Amino acid sequence: MIEARNITRTYTGRGAFTGTRTVHALRGVDFTLPRGGAVSFIGESGCGKTTLGKILTGLESFDGGELLVDGTDLSKLSARRRAPYFRRIQLIHQDPYSALNPTRDVGQILGDPLRMRARETGATRTQQRERAAELLELVGLRPGTLAKYPHQLSGGQRQRVVIARALTVDPEALVADESVSMIDVSMRLGVLSLLRDLRERLGISLLFITHDVATARYLGEGGELHVIYRGQVIERGPTDSVVQQPVHPYTQCLLSAVPVLRGLEEPGPDRLVPLAALDERVATPGCLFAPRCPFATDGCADGRPGLTALPADGAHRHACLHPRARRVVATEAAAVH
Amino acid sequence: MTDPTPHHDGAATAGARPAEVAIRDLTVVYRTEHGDLPAVSHASLELRAGEITGLVGESGSGKSTLALSLLNAVPAPGRITSGSVEVAGVGDVTRLTGRRLRRARGGALGYVFQASQNSLNPLKTVGKQLLDLGRSHEVEDLRALVRRARELCERMGLDADRVLDSYQHELSGGMRQRVGIVLALVLNAEVLVLDEPTTALDMISQAAVLDIVRSVHRENGLATLVVTHDMGVVSEIADRLAVMYGGRIVEHGPAGELLRRPSHPYTRALIGATARIVGDTRLARALPGQPPDLTTLARRGCVFRDRCPLAMPVCEESDPALSEWTPGRFRACHADPVGRAPAPAAVPAPRAQDDPTGGRP
Repeated sequence: MIEARNITRTYTGRGAFTGTRTVHALRGVDFTLPRGGAVSFIGESGCGKTTLGKILTGLESFDGGELLVDGTDLSKLSARRRAPYFRRIQLIHQDPYSALNPTRDVGQILGDPLRMRARETGATRTQQRERAAELLELVGLRPGTLAKYPHQLSGGQRQRVVIARALTVDPEALVADESVSMIDVSMRLGVLSLLRDLRERLGISLLFITHDVATARYLGEGGELHVIYRGQVIERGPTDSVVQQPVHPYTQCLLSAVPVLRGLEEPGPDRLVPLAALDERVATPGCLFAPRCPFATDGCADGRPGLTALPADGAHRHACLHPRARRVVATEAAAVH
Repeated sequence: MTDPTPHHDGAATAGARPAEVAIRDLTVVYRTEHGDLPAVSHASLELRAGEITGLVGESGSGKSTLALSLLNAVPAPGRITSGSVEVAGVGDVTRLTGRRLRRARGGALGYVFQASQNSLNPLKTVGKQLLDLGRSHEVEDLRALVRRARELCERMGLDADRVLDSYQHELSGGMRQRVGIVLALVLNAEVLVLDEPTTALDMISQAAVLDIVRSVHRENGLATLVVTHDMGVVSEIADRLAVMYGGRIVEHGPAGELLRRPSHPYTRALIGATARIVGDTRLARALPGQPPDLTTLARRGCVFRDRCPLAMPVCEESDPALSEWTPGRFRACHADPVGRAPAPAAVPAPRAQDDPTGGRP
C-alpha cells in the first residue's frame, strides 16, 4: 500500500530579467493506493501531475509531506535505504519511442533488469530466460519478439515491451504517465486493457496520470479519480461519481472538453464553453481556479477552499465555495449497430 | 429504424453546392529500395463549401499524404502517379507548377500543418512571417494584410499585438495552432486543411481549437478538411467522415450516420476501440493485429483482411472498390453491407440529434 500525505514540491527558478520565480508544482497532495487499487490523476499540462509521477518513482524529490510504502516513511530514509522501496513502484514512460535503447534487442532490454533482480531472488540464468519469455506472453507479445530491436516494433508493441520491462523487478504498483498518448488509436485500447488486466489478475496497483478523462475512466474503474489544478487536488472521489456528477467548475470544464461522438452521444445540456489558456503565473491568495472560473464570485478571491465532502457522498470531495451539479457529460444516445 | 427522421448532418447540403475540391482516383507512391510503395491508392473524395470533412486514419494510413496532395506537396520520394485534385477557381493542382502552384498554396488553399510549432520559423516573429507570406503572394497592400491578420487573431481570442511580435517559442501550443490557422486564412483561403490540429494539445486547448475551427469554418463558408487519428475529434466537428486504412478510403458518409451505423468492419472496430466517457467500459474491444505500414501492406486483396472479423476467401483475391451502397454512403468491403441486425438495447434510447450548432452555448 502506498500512501501520500500532504506532499508538496516547489521549484524556485531565477530568470535573467524576471527575478526569482516560484512554481508550486504540488500543493499538498494526499492519496492512498491500496494493493490492487487504482488512482487516476487528471489535469492539464503544467498542473503538476507528471511531477507527482516522478516523485512516486523516486526520480524527483519532494520538499514537504510524507510518502509511505507499507507504513514506512520514505522521506526519513537515506537514499540507499529508500531504493528497495522504489523498486516496488515502476514507471511506464509516456513515449515508448524514446524509452527503449535502440541498440539493444528486447532480450537484452528485459535481461538486464532480470539479472539485477536475480541478485536478490537468486534466480538462475535459465529461470531468468524463462521469466523473460513469460513476461512477453503476459504482455501479449510473441516469443520471437525477444530477438527484435525497438525499431522493428510498432508503438503499441514497444509500449508492451516497456510494461514487460517494468514487470521484471516484480513491482507492486505501476505509475503510468500518459501511457497511450503516443500510440496508434487501434492499439491504444489493447495497452489499456493490458494494464487493467494486470491490476485485476495480478493485483498490481495502478496510478494513472493523464489529461484524457475517457482513458482515466477506463483504467480507474472502481478506483479513485483526483482532479488536479495548479498543484492542488480540487475534486476527488470514486471515479464514476466524479465523472458522472462533477461539482467543481474546473472538473466540469474538463469533462465538457471531452469530444462528443455525435450520433452515438448527446452532449450534456450544461456543457461549458472552452476556457482561456492556463496562466500559471497569476498569483492569488484565493481559489486557484477563480481567475478562469465562469462562476467565480468576489468571495472566491479571498480564501482558498480546502477539500470538503459532499453531504450526499462522503467519499466525493471538492474544493469549491459554490459547488453545483451541472450536466456537462455526454449521455448515450444510441448504440452502434 | 430507431430514428425515423432524416439525418441532416451534412447530407442536406450535399448536391446543393458544387464541390470546392474534387479528388479523383488519386494514387501516390513512394519510391523506395523495396520498389514503388503506394501510400494512397485510388482515393476519391469531395470537399464542399460549408462542410467539414473529417479524414480519420492511423499513422501509415496515408491520410497526411492525401492531405499534402491537395497542395501538390507530397515530399520526395513520394509522387502523384495518377488521378487529379480539382480545386474550384484553381484547376487541377496536380498539374500546377512553379509560380501558379506557389500562389495556390497559402492562397486558395490554406493548410495548417501537423504540429504547427514546427511549421513556424523560430528565427522570425509571427508578424515578419506574415509579411513574408504577403510578399511571396504578391500582396500589394501589406497594411490591409496585417489588419486582416489582427482581425483573425482577435476572433480566435489571441492578443494580436503580442502574437505578431512573438517568436514561436514564446507562444503556447494552443496559441501556435491558432497562429497556424490565422496564417492559413489570412489570404482568404476557400479551402482549409488541418492536419492533426489538436494532437499535441491537452483537452481544454483541444476543445478551444475545435471551437475556433468550427466558427471560422462557418463564418467564412469554407470547405474544411480535418485530418486526424482521433475519432472523438472528428465526430465532434465533422459533417462528413472519411475513414482511411492502408492507403485506401474504406468508408465515407455523413458523420452521425457513419458513427451510428458503421458499415466497414474497420470503422466499426475503431469505434468499438474508443475509450468513452459513457456506457459500459467492458464493451470496448481492442482491435487484433497491427496497422500495416508501407512495407507490410498487402499487395493483393483487401488491406484490412488480416484484422477483419468478416474476412472471406474473396478478400484474399480482390481489393474491394469504394462504391455507394446506399445513397450518400460509400464503402469498400466485400461483406454484406447491411451487417448484423440492430441491437434491441438501442431501441429505448433517446433519439440522437445531429445538432448543427455543435451543442454549445
